[in-house]
Amino acid sequence: MLSELLQGADTGGFLIIQDSTNCSGQHLLTSFISAVLNRDEFVHVLGFEISEEELRDGLKGSPTQRLHFHNGFTDPLGWTNHPAFTVHQFNLEELTHIVKQTSQLKPATLIINSLSWILRHVSPSAVCKTLQQLKKGGAVRTIIGLLHADMHQKGTVGSVCHLASSVITVAPGMKADEAVAKITKRSKSGKVMQDEEIFNIKEDLTVIVQSKPSQTGSKQPDPEEQEMDPTANLTFNLRLSDTEREAKEKLALPFMFSKEKKTALLHSSPGSGRILYEPDANDDYDQEDPDDDLDV
Amino acid sequence: MAAPVNSVVKVLPEGSAVSITSFQRKTRGRLISIPGTRPSVQNGQLLVSTGVTSLDFLLGGGLAVGTVLLVEEDRYDSYSRMILKYFLAEGVVCRHELFVAAAQDNPDDILQELPAPILDDVAIHKPAEQPRLSCEPQNSLDAMKIAWRYQNLPKVQSALASSSRFGHYYDVSKTMEPEIRQAAKCHRFYLPEHPTQTSPIHSPMLESYSLLLKSLQEVIQREGFGVAGPMLKSRNILRIGLHSLGSALWGDDLSYHDNPKYRHALTTFLYGLRALLRSSLSVAVVTVPSHLIQDRALMGSITRLCDNAIALESFKGSERETNPLYKDYHGLLHVRQVPHLNCLASQLPDHKDLAFKLKRKQFSIERLHLPPDLSETVSRVSRGELAGRATVASACGSSTSGNKHLDF
Repeated sequence: MLSELLQGADTGGFLIIQDSTNCSGQHLLTSFISAVLNRDEFVHVLGFEISEEELRDGLKGSPTQRLHFHNGFTDPLGWTNHPAFTVHQFNLEELTHIVKQTSQLKPATLIINSLSWILRHVSPSAVCKTLQQLKKGGAVRTIIGLLHADMHQKGTVGSVCHLASSVITVAPGMKADEAVAKITKRSKSGKVMQDEEIFNIKEDLTVIVQSKPSQTGSKQPDPEEQEMDPTANLTFNLRLSDTEREAKEKLALPFMFSKEKKTALLHSSPGSGRILYEPDANDDYDQEDPDDDLDV
Repeated sequence: MAAPVNSVVKVLPEGSAVSITSFQRKTRGRLISIPGTRPSVQNGQLLVSTGVTSLDFLLGGGLAVGTVLLVEEDRYDSYSRMILKYFLAEGVVCRHELFVAAAQDNPDDILQELPAPILDDVAIHKPAEQPRLSCEPQNSLDAMKIAWRYQNLPKVQSALASSSRFGHYYDVSKTMEPEIRQAAKCHRFYLPEHPTQTSPIHSPMLESYSLLLKSLQEVIQREGFGVAGPMLKSRNILRIGLHSLGSALWGDDLSYHDNPKYRHALTTFLYGLRALLRSSLSVAVVTVPSHLIQDRALMGSITRLCDNAIALESFKGSERETNPLYKDYHGLLHVRQVPHLNCLASQLPDHKDLAFKLKRKQFSIERLHLPPDLSETVSRVSRGELAGRATVASACGSSTSGNKHLDF
């Protein structure tokens, strides 16, 4: 499922890479950027965590002419007179403006590196609102954001992830170069798919999905229990042959209520007595419903 | 209607004033008849259907007009959204008016996803199949011969259903045709379309909520849903669906602050909503993402402010998904609160363990019970061991450890 997400099939998607101090999601994010660049799409990076040089250095081998870096790294809060991009510019109008400036033709992919930086300085409800508007507006095709889950309260992480169409949670793997990705993907119809995959990232930023991690929780059936067939060595016959079954089915059990028995009880046999009654004029027949007064 | 139906009747012109005698036939004809409603069998409240037959049964026949149903969303908001859509679809089919408010998705999107009604569904509600008489030829070995006393007992139904039909059936695999949908009058409230100013600091109410409440009040007054207002035309019901209240998109900070600034915003709103509904012919379904709200006490007071409250707990992503006990279901349904309308005690659902599942075409709520254990080893082991211990005394005393699974 990770490779599907890298190919980026769905428009209007919002993907969150959620990491913690145990395992950084920065590498995976760079792989996502490279995958988008290789598809000849425009990429806008809101960079707060790594500098432009570092990012371009990491993206060697990918066509970077469509990459636009909005520098929030050097001066994120606008302390100097000429800030390139500040945290407070994170709203719909400004973002649409800077995205439209460079790529009028095709909707671009917006990379937010990272959401945690923004969430520290802007109120979560404003961030959620902007993200939702970006998702709905047409300027941006896909939003990919990095979120350091251990930096925020559980509710904040939950609120932001509630908006996301896909969440990839990165956790350390068994080996040094491996990591485990827990993927939750919500389709537009409301169906939720979940998967867990081990991946590693090569030098050229391609992601190799290795396998699904072995289910440690699932219990292996005990082989001894499986082999033993309790009906193997019986001292009596447990199975019926066809003739035996026929004979068994012929037998009427005492508690069965067969058709013959029923008819015998309902219709008396010829020769026995029967009551015939015809009402005459003297019979007092009550026309009224005796239960008329009941409110039923 | 929180006030009993009779109070509504007073507003209506006296149609039966022609009759002079004090004798009155005991009929239900004098109650107001609005399509898609019926009086409750328990307390005479006017009920509307939620669209989900089993949920109606659970809530004591349906939703009383003038009350609020709170649905605590499941983690991914797929099933709670389904309940909301059922509720709105039922309103469309019954020609009620709708009011849909949302902050996340455009209300039009929600309306487009409404499930298609199955209108010619006479054969749907067939009684449970009668078990065949044992004298009929039985081909399969599995057919059990059973004593005649037990033959005609009804099958145990785990699906919740009442005997009489109320509400319609829907096919969730299809969406409702646009012609049917557009026939219903619908009021929309999409928060991003309403400009909000920053509210003054002292106000306990959020701007978004007060806008919503004002818009709701306006609709109720303008369209004549108020009980006290002048009698305009034939009465109708207003169905109000409010999606994901309390989420960050409504500007609420309940979900990400331990000590929210607008702690009382949602509760204040719910008070206002309740006051509005009590005096009008309207009924509301509110969904709240309760898994995001950290403060349990606050969630409790939100629940108290609604009349009915149910919570959906989806198995998706929890360890319960793989639990064999739950393999037939998609999630659990908890009834948090049942309404107390004009009475001290209320009818409680007879069964507390409820689960829901989404079949291919239908969402249904069922009683959760253990499936029969058909496997060879699972629960018989202990009995087998007991039998093994009692070998000396048992008639089949020659048993070795090899056949400990035979218990007889």
